[in-house]
Amino acid sequence: MRMPDPDQGVIARRGALAARLRAIVGAQWVLDDEAERRPYRCDGITAYQATPLLVVLPASTAEIRAVLAVCREQGVKIVPRGSGTSLSGGALPLEDGVLLVTSRLCAIVAMDVENRVARVQCGVPNIRISEAARPFGLCYMPDPSSQMISTIGGNVAENSGGVHCLKYGMTSNHVVGLEAVLMSGEVIRLGGGFQGAADGELDLIGLLTGSEGLLAVVTEITVRLVPLPEAARVMSMSFASVEDACRCVGAIIGAGIIPAGLEFMDRKVLNAVASLLREEHDPRTAALLLCELDGTAAEIDALIERVRGLAEQAGAIDIRASRTEEERERIWRSRKLAFSAIGKMCKDYYCTDGTIPRNRLPDILDRMAELSRTYGLDYANCFHAGDGNLHPIIMYDAARPGDLDKAEAFGADVLRACVDMGGVLSGEHGVGVEKRDLMTHQFAPADLRQQQVLKCAFDPEELLNPGKVFPSPCRCAEFGRMHVRGGEMRFPDIPRF
Amino acid sequence: MIAHLHDPVVCRPACVADVADVVRAARSKGQALEVAGNGTRRGLGNPVAAAVRLELGGLGHVHFYEPDDLVIRVDAGVPLADVERMLAGQGQYLPFEPPCHAALYGGVPARSTIGGAIATGLSGPRRFQVGAARDFVLGVDGVNGQGEAFSAGGRTMKNVTGYDLSKLLCGSFGTMAALTRLTLKVLPAPETERTMLFPSAGLARDVAVLAAILSRPLAVTGAAIVPAEGGMAVAVRLEGSAPGVAEHAGRLDGAGLPPGRVLAAAESRLFWSHVRELDVLGAGSDDMLWRIHVPATGAAALADALRQAALVSSLMLDWGGALMFCTMPAAVSGGPDGAVPRLRALAAQAGGRAILLRAPDPIRAAHGAFPAQAPGVAALAARTRRVFDPAGILNPGRMAPAGESAEAC
Ligand SMILES: Cc1cc2nc3c(=O)[nH]c(=O)nc-3n(C[C@H](O)[C@@H](O)[C@H](O)COP(=O)(O)OP(=O)(O)OC[C@H]3O[C@@H](n4cnc5c(N)ncnc54)[C@H](O)[C@@H]3O)c2cc1C
Ligand SMILES: Cc1cc2nc3c(=O)[nH]c(=O)nc-3n(C[C@H](O)[C@H](O)[C@H](O)COP(=O)(O)OP(=O)(O)OC[C@H]3O[C@@H](n4cnc5c(N)ncnc54)[C@H](O)[C@@H]3O)c2cc1C
Repeated sequence: MRMPDPDQGVIARRGALAARLRAIVGAQWVLDDEAERRPYRCDGITAYQATPLLVVLPASTAEIRAVLAVCREQGVKIVPRGSGTSLSGGALPLEDGVLLVTSRLCAIVAMDVENRVARVQCGVPNIRISEAARPFGLCYMPDPSSQMISTIGGNVAENSGGVHCLKYGMTSNHVVGLEAVLMSGEVIRLGGGFQGAADGELDLIGLLTGSEGLLAVVTEITVRLVPLPEAARVMSMSFASVEDACRCVGAIIGAGIIPAGLEFMDRKVLNAVASLLREEHDPRTAALLLCELDGTAAEIDALIERVRGLAEQAGAIDIRASRTEEERERIWRSRKLAFSAIGKMCKDYYCTDGTIPRNRLPDILDRMAELSRTYGLDYANCFHAGDGNLHPIIMYDAARPGDLDKAEAFGADVLRACVDMGGVLSGEHGVGVEKRDLMTHQFAPADLRQQQVLKCAFDPEELLNPGKVFPSPCRCAEFGRMHVRGGEMRFPDIPRF
Repeated sequence: MIAHLHDPVVCRPACVADVADVVRAARSKGQALEVAGNGTRRGLGNPVAAAVRLELGGLGHVHFYEPDDLVIRVDAGVPLADVERMLAGQGQYLPFEPPCHAALYGGVPARSTIGGAIATGLSGPRRFQVGAARDFVLGVDGVNGQGEAFSAGGRTMKNVTGYDLSKLLCGSFGTMAALTRLTLKVLPAPETERTMLFPSAGLARDVAVLAAILSRPLAVTGAAIVPAEGGMAVAVRLEGSAPGVAEHAGRLDGAGLPPGRVLAAAESRLFWSHVRELDVLGAGSDDMLWRIHVPATGAAALADALRQAALVSSLMLDWGGALMFCTMPAAVSGGPDGAVPRLRALAAQAGGRAILLRAPDPIRAAHGAFPAQAPGVAALAARTRRVFDPAGILNPGRMAPAGESAEAC
């Protein structure tokens, strides 16, 4: 993984730049000391690290504007960062770039209960929105597992999902208004404080959501709130084979049931979790499905019986359904602890995020087993089965020479296989730097170019989060010249990072 | 803006390569293209002056439909009605309930295309609960203004690989690309539905009651206030399993609504198709039609203001009040040139945005079908279009907001 070569000239100007930025945000909110900058050197992927030129913590949209204006004037790059939980290296700093951390923009600006929306600043942790909405019987639905920490700004930048997005949608399905600052220092406000506020306009909210900090810094977000589901119960279903479990997933969706969540865990994950929870599963269990159903009590009861029937037909060997909220939480605990439990089992692990058409689940699981043998690395599976979003966990030992490379190669092969089966590289974690160089496997050059040229409308100098998502720079200046020449756009020898 | 003196030459390619050829040819001559499906909704958006109409209605292939995977991929020219029929055959549907509106413009509804539905991004009554058209577009193929074919998005339920062009193109009214193929997420259709009709207690009170209902976990998928015999009626639709609908209906009792009338499944379906297609407004054939997006909490006051100013003859609310439709008589006092900006100003005061859904070409050309945008947003939208269509040849000016010339877009 290569990043653009740092500009030594910019690094030499660190002190002067820090002084300019301090004049905007206050002395203590610019970190230039090496020891203070180091904690920011990576996000959720620790394998990729770089110490940022400076860390800046502005407190308002106005300050962000001013910071961007100075950086643009100075030709300095910016990497936006929320809580740094990205699992694709999206918030990986640049040695010659300012890391703009949004954690001080953490106010819930307005709770509008009658229109069922909340207006919040970008640095608010996801969970706080639901906490503020709860007294009104409402919640903010998208719930990435990182919701205690990850910011709503980061969620918007990554278009994050969560366990409940099968039924309730991803972040982008819940955003009705955005305020953002362009690299030019311009503040734009899109949509507004109600659903439909942006209808009849070009869907720039849809474009910014999931743009991984490459197009604008999102400063304020208005999200839709929905009524808290009245009740929910979760079923835990054991299968003696992975194929049976996959068949059950297809049967449930095929029967017209959209569960609130439908998760898959394999035997290795269960073993890892069992040692923490002392939760016993039938020894024949090869795969476990968790299926959450919500609605009114009567509706849930009826659905549970239907799912039970489908699971039995698919060969389930053990079926349990929660009867109390405590039981429900206990059953979910195994899923929530899965990743840390695996973490205790191995030295290091690497988790990726490919997505496939759901009916190809058995094929991709076969392919993973094959790749595991080829690379000689163990792996485990714990993923969002309902929407075909895989999170293979590849175990390795960073201290063993060559192991990290092998793990990365294994992960990349899984993602390529996902694409070859009609799927995509990322279902919810984003491309970042992790999947950047695989983009050409999913997209033909013209398709990639069609995305990338949008940079020219938002940030033609390519100062915002460069080196992420696309394997080569956009070169907007040349795009401008190109279309003067009448549609002949060829980019034969653009350098790769 | 000049209305075209002659009917445009119609190009109706049958394959993507030919679509690209048409665009490239227009590009090299610097000629504008009107992009259409079958042209049933040409009255929507600003009129486009172009010598050539590119119709995508000739692309009619169904690539795949996998009900178990909740996904369908079709060419843009497949009629919307055909898509809906195909889905219904498997007990599935397009949840965003796309309005066709063709009849409003004198088009033949059966010929309206899925490409037109996505290009206009219109969403029907169920939207406030399940999402809009853009929330169900998984992938889009198109030809940009350079005549280059491209593919965006995918077919999986979740996908955050690169920028979300599918959303950007949905609702872009053919101003960025000619859409050639669409991949859509579909869902199982609810087993049954039921609608309760209550007499209105005044719009402000109705909207407040609906807001209270929509804050509870009820399976409400329709919440409208529509003209009815002897006044207005509040309509609440419930969808789901039969026992679920019955249970939710029971809970609506005591929600602050007077005793009402119940429409069972078939009647309910028909009722909501009339809401969706705006039949309930009873618009005269030369009435102008408005679609106003407004915070529900401001809808009643806006309705009062519009009535008081004698700008509208009939109106209805959908989405619990966040969407208003109204008719403006052709003979509105002060004439359309005075009334159109006045209505827009009142809508803006209420925090809303008024879209001129139907009006004679000269009025839409003069005032814009869409309301003005903040200058920064309009400029950003124009730059965004330009990277897809540098010469501005695709539907020039169709989405230009009020007060902007076609050239600015
Ligand atoms: C006066 C008149 C003359 C007509 N003449 C003919 C004729 O000669 N031959 C014929 O076959 N039909 C003709 N029709 C058309 C016919 O009546 C229509 O019925 C038509 O069916 C439906 O198109 P559409 O509604 O799907 O979308 P449209 O109404 O065509 O389009 C709605 C909006 O979406 C955009 N759009 C639609 N599809 C796409 C796409 N694929 N990509 C990008 N943008 C898109 C359009 O630019 C427009 O902004 C005519 C209609 C009228 C009113
Ligand atoms: C334990 C764990 C569990 C997780 N579970 C899930 C899950 O279930 N589902 C899921 O989808 N993801 C999950 N993630 C991934 C991650 O939490 C999400 O991507 C999250 O949205 C990142 O938020 P953040 O505030 O940490 O952003 P960061 O990691 O700080 O940044 C992420 C990206 O967003 C950009 N960015 C951040 N803020 C802004 C802003 N205001 N404006 C513009 N760009 C900005 C950054 O430049 C970067 O590209 C998980 C991560 C961890 C560590």
